[in-house]
Amino acid sequence: MRFLKTDERGDPAALKKADGDITGWMARRRWARVGIVYSVMILFAIILVGPMLFAALSSLKVNPLEYPPSLRIPELNPRNWVTAAQLGRAGAGDAFQGGFAPGAEIPFDLTYFYPEGTDPAPPDVEVPRRRPGSGLGAARTIDYAADYAEVSALEVVERERGEHEVDGTREDGVFVTYSFAVRYVGDGPLVGRVPLAATAERGHHYVDSTLPASRLERRGMVASFDNIAPGLGRYVVRNYSRVFDEARSVTTGRSLFVAWTRNSFLVAFARVLTNVVFASMAGYAVARYRFRGRFLIFFGLLFAQMVPAQVTFISNYLLVRDGLFGLSHLFGRDTFLNSLWGVIIAGAGSGAAMIHAGMVFVMKQFFETLPRDIEEAAEIDGAGTVQRYIRVVLPMARPALGAVIILTFQGTWNEFFWPLVVLTSPEEVKTLPVGLLAFRQVYGVAGDWGLILAGAILSALPVIVLFVVFQKYFMQGIAFGGSKE
Amino acid sequence: MDPRKVIALLLGVLLAGAAGAFAGGEAEQAEPDPDDPVTVRVMGYGGQDPRIKADLLENVIGDHLEAQGIRVDYEPIEDDYNTMLYNQLSAGTAADVVYIPVETAPGIIATGMIEPLDGLTDLSPYLASLNESFTFDGQTYGIAKDFNTLGMFYNKDLFDEAGVDYPDENTTWDELEEKMRAIDDLGDDVYGAAFPAQFERMGAFAFANGFELDIETGEADLLDTALVDTVEWYTGLVREGVAVQPADMGQGWGGGAFGTGDVGIAFEGAWLLGYLGDEAPHLEFGTTYIPRSPHTGESGNFLYTVAYGINNQTDHLEASVAVLEALTSPEAQQHVLEGGLAIPSREELLELDYFERDDREAVANRTIFEGAEHGNVYGFQFGEVGTDWLSPVDAALSEIMTGEASVEEALQRAQRELDELLGR
Amino acid sequence: MDLYGTKYNEEPGGRPGLTFNSLKRSTQEQISAYLFLAPFLITLAVFFLYSTGRAFYFSFTDYNLFADPNWVGLENYLSLFRQSLFLRALQNTLLFSVIVTTVQTFLALVMATVLNQRIRGLAFFRAAYYIPSIASSVVITLIFMWMYQRRGLINYLWTEARRHAPIILLFIALVIVLQVAQVIWERRRGYPARWVDPALFLISFTVGAIGTLGAWVAGVVSVRPLPPVDFTWLATRVRLPGWAPSFLRVPVPLVAIMIQNIFTTIPTMMIMYLAALQGIPPSFYEAADIEGASVPQKFFRITIPSVRPVTFLVVALSLIGTLQMFDQVAIFGDAVPLESVITLSYYVYDRMFPGAQLPQVGLASAAAMFLAILTMLAVLVQRVFIKSEAE
Repeated sequence: MRFLKTDERGDPAALKKADGDITGWMARRRWARVGIVYSVMILFAIILVGPMLFAALSSLKVNPLEYPPSLRIPELNPRNWVTAAQLGRAGAGDAFQGGFAPGAEIPFDLTYFYPEGTDPAPPDVEVPRRRPGSGLGAARTIDYAADYAEVSALEVVERERGEHEVDGTREDGVFVTYSFAVRYVGDGPLVGRVPLAATAERGHHYVDSTLPASRLERRGMVASFDNIAPGLGRYVVRNYSRVFDEARSVTTGRSLFVAWTRNSFLVAFARVLTNVVFASMAGYAVARYRFRGRFLIFFGLLFAQMVPAQVTFISNYLLVRDGLFGLSHLFGRDTFLNSLWGVIIAGAGSGAAMIHAGMVFVMKQFFETLPRDIEEAAEIDGAGTVQRYIRVVLPMARPALGAVIILTFQGTWNEFFWPLVVLTSPEEVKTLPVGLLAFRQVYGVAGDWGLILAGAILSALPVIVLFVVFQKYFMQGIAFGGSKE
Repeated sequence: MDPRKVIALLLGVLLAGAAGAFAGGEAEQAEPDPDDPVTVRVMGYGGQDPRIKADLLENVIGDHLEAQGIRVDYEPIEDDYNTMLYNQLSAGTAADVVYIPVETAPGIIATGMIEPLDGLTDLSPYLASLNESFTFDGQTYGIAKDFNTLGMFYNKDLFDEAGVDYPDENTTWDELEEKMRAIDDLGDDVYGAAFPAQFERMGAFAFANGFELDIETGEADLLDTALVDTVEWYTGLVREGVAVQPADMGQGWGGGAFGTGDVGIAFEGAWLLGYLGDEAPHLEFGTTYIPRSPHTGESGNFLYTVAYGINNQTDHLEASVAVLEALTSPEAQQHVLEGGLAIPSREELLELDYFERDDREAVANRTIFEGAEHGNVYGFQFGEVGTDWLSPVDAALSEIMTGEASVEEALQRAQRELDELLGR
Repeated sequence: MDLYGTKYNEEPGGRPGLTFNSLKRSTQEQISAYLFLAPFLITLAVFFLYSTGRAFYFSFTDYNLFADPNWVGLENYLSLFRQSLFLRALQNTLLFSVIVTTVQTFLALVMATVLNQRIRGLAFFRAAYYIPSIASSVVITLIFMWMYQRRGLINYLWTEARRHAPIILLFIALVIVLQVAQVIWERRRGYPARWVDPALFLISFTVGAIGTLGAWVAGVVSVRPLPPVDFTWLATRVRLPGWAPSFLRVPVPLVAIMIQNIFTTIPTMMIMYLAALQGIPPSFYEAADIEGASVPQKFFRITIPSVRPVTFLVVALSLIGTLQMFDQVAIFGDAVPLESVITLSYYVYDRMFPGAQLPQVGLASAAAMFLAILTMLAVLVQRVFIKSEAE
């Protein structure tokens, strides 16, 4: 309400005008508020999703720690895609995977800047004998491009005077572009990648090349290329292909990331199965029956979720270590340590478990909302307890079972502590979260964040897809009591 | 979406995935063929070791062992190795042959799970001083597979660019400091040296300066002037920005910082050679001894060693001894030396021609080998508390470097915590 | 109300079930109930009750995995409080729990209040916000570790903020001045304008932005040529803030984990709050508007009391989660000094599997018992506290 001045009081026309005025004024305010709310929502979205998105984009870079961080990613530049595909075809006749095959001739250009007063000598170009990364895959014997490659003499194809920024100041000088080719000599195997190193004298500056250099070493003297014949795929998702290619078991040579993914799926599936079957049974009993000790079970449900996993893991670790009362002999082993069975069967407390107290709770809450009439009708028809449960109750419980499936899958997929305790060695018994920790330890030392980020993003994909498709169940899960693990 | 469809779809996907996965799992767990050779599991470090071991097995000792019907599985532990060893020994899942690091040897052997080697194999060809660390009550439980000391690695490009001479055997701390300052002046992101806040590196300087440590009990006087002076010099250079903590360059260790090419000097063992070969293949570096203290005129060093021991729960004792002998055979040790991992423990190999070569790897290995007898050298052992000894001292170094505490305060607190740890 | 918003002791179903053969029927019920519950009860007994009992027993022994356990009475509990690492873990855990719970509960409620609008597209945004919470702690921690690197995203944003500080400050000052001027003018014209009036704010924002841009182009303010911020987030033992007494200082790496934890937990809590807020009748706010209540008044007098049950749930979950924080410490691992981030949960794990010495199962168990009791006490205390506030 607009406040009327004293002399306007009692004047109906003024009152009416003021009313119309204030309605327009309020409407304006409402619209402005909606605009601001949307802006704030977008801002929140940027803050909350931004880091993951930025990490996903940076995982494409050769060096995700490039400073200043930039979203101008050469790997996303279509011009480089074409070049990478062409180089891949030149290297191995494969525009997507690239490589180095007999008969290959890979053309390559390098541009250097020579400041006034320096002698424009061409850089020293070689194909070094370098293994891809260190750590988890380093045990394999591989073929080196260096053993089959020959670098042709450098030819000057362009010479141009100009200015270039050197250490923050612009200097006059000359740009020289050299062209050469790397040839495959004789016959031999298909080699995965062709590294290249161009060493210049101090004072000469690398400017550009057919594909940008992976990194500059020795204070800019060496322009180093991880692969000059990458093909489109190996170029754009370089770190992602490294996740699969480089981290391999030292004993079997199989990809660790594939093994970890398989293990994670196995454990998650087993847990989903046990929870769907047993938690619904338990939830049903608590919701429908009156029995002695019901109150105690409520307490069990509550405490099982409150007592830290660190309390129960001490004894559970020893149980699993000693094979769970001889149960492990059924599986032909003395211990459940370093076995997925150990992860699946044991585990309790606030961590995920074979039958999770939180899931029992979700089911109990749901069954309490179901009317009893149908069950009673079935009982009158002469259906037994078990029959009634399977034929009548479970089909009605689909929405709750959906929530249990989704939440258990997500919880188990993300579970860290218990697998960390049970799965230690060798690397291929681990699940994804524990395996990613190994990535962190091995590649983090060398500052190789590209591979770590790529692995992290890949491992998050299944739950993100699940979330996008079955969002409703996640929200339900939170509503049922927030059993986020 | 219809909830029935959702459930059906979900279960279908999960079932299909799991069916495939379980099928794969079962195939792998199948019983080994009785005609197959005995498999001896060896458990050791991750990092560079798996590569060297695979290479060793493939090119040097694999055929020899295969002829005896033995297959070797190397299990690298990327996690904290000592934890894993205790863990697996208590669980009965430890490998047949295990690494025993010198710093935890007393505790590991005290568990009673390691087989004494006397009478099982000939212990005489190995350096006696190395065997000693693994001998308790007259029984030897491990054969040193190799050893390592610290050397001073310097980046030739940076020394050239700064126009200072390379350091040598006689360089003192004062001379080194001048060189470091010259290199530091090259740019904002360039540092004279990598000085981690760790006794594992600073200790070598302290020993050079006359600091004494009882490695049998872990007892030490942290307020001894020999140590206080060293800490003041070491941390002072970091506070001034002449030297850098590797962490402040985003690196986990001195070798990593050195590998970036922006650090003039790092103090590491022969393990750095393998790392540089992989991560900084173009770096031009040289190696010399730890510099001499201007007060004592001496150099100092740590002696690191790791032994092979046999788990007494093994089902294949004979095969395990054969594997242990093969792994420490002259051929194997020579191969490991040339792979740039460590120095052989067999006395006879110290006469090798390899040490006379003048390529940078051979020079580094010779320097690190001779470091064992160069000045005041201490074994990397701290009594029964093992590497827990290091925590209070490292915390003190870190606090001094960041200006949280003065040298005096920090060392006094470290001494208190150390006494508490040692139960005094 | 308890943790799950229901009463445990209420009758199930709701219908009185007395029939002529009630005795037989109830026996039947007992048997069926226990058959249905059997698998759950067996796992609960073995992996929860037995293991908790065994940990309780171990906490009074000197068990080390190798030799048989010997009874030592309360020795483990006493020696915990002599260990500087345990005391550090206790301090870190309490600081972490209290600070994170307070900040994230408050922020979640504020964010939910802002978003509590009946507008299109809310579901989409809600889903987007939830994405950081569904990825595993390992994924999120690795991404944050990457951002916390010396030349990582966080130090970069900090650097840019410092470089642009004059411009940002000028912009804020302009917006405030414009807003105040407009509100005073509107009030003079007789409209009931508030200090945070949205329509006027849009004008202030736009004019402020244009003004700042103009000042920048004219060279009145400029970007400062500062060197990059090289703050060490991880490998440091620095504790902040420097002026606080020692027991209140938080190690920098722990601050890093706090930020990360708040970031990943807020969306879940915000969604829980949002559900509660949408249940508040709009008439409450309308009545307050008529009485001329300000935005903060409405927030404190209407919003907070209405969502009290959710606050209890949110705070309880947050306390349980933060007191038991483990994953981040394990993943940071050797990239940070242990004593800077160690928590009680990690202390238990660390004593169970110490690297340098024999395992100390007794000490680990005692610390685990301590942690369990602490968790339950915290939940109990906050329950009593929030309840008494409500009465």
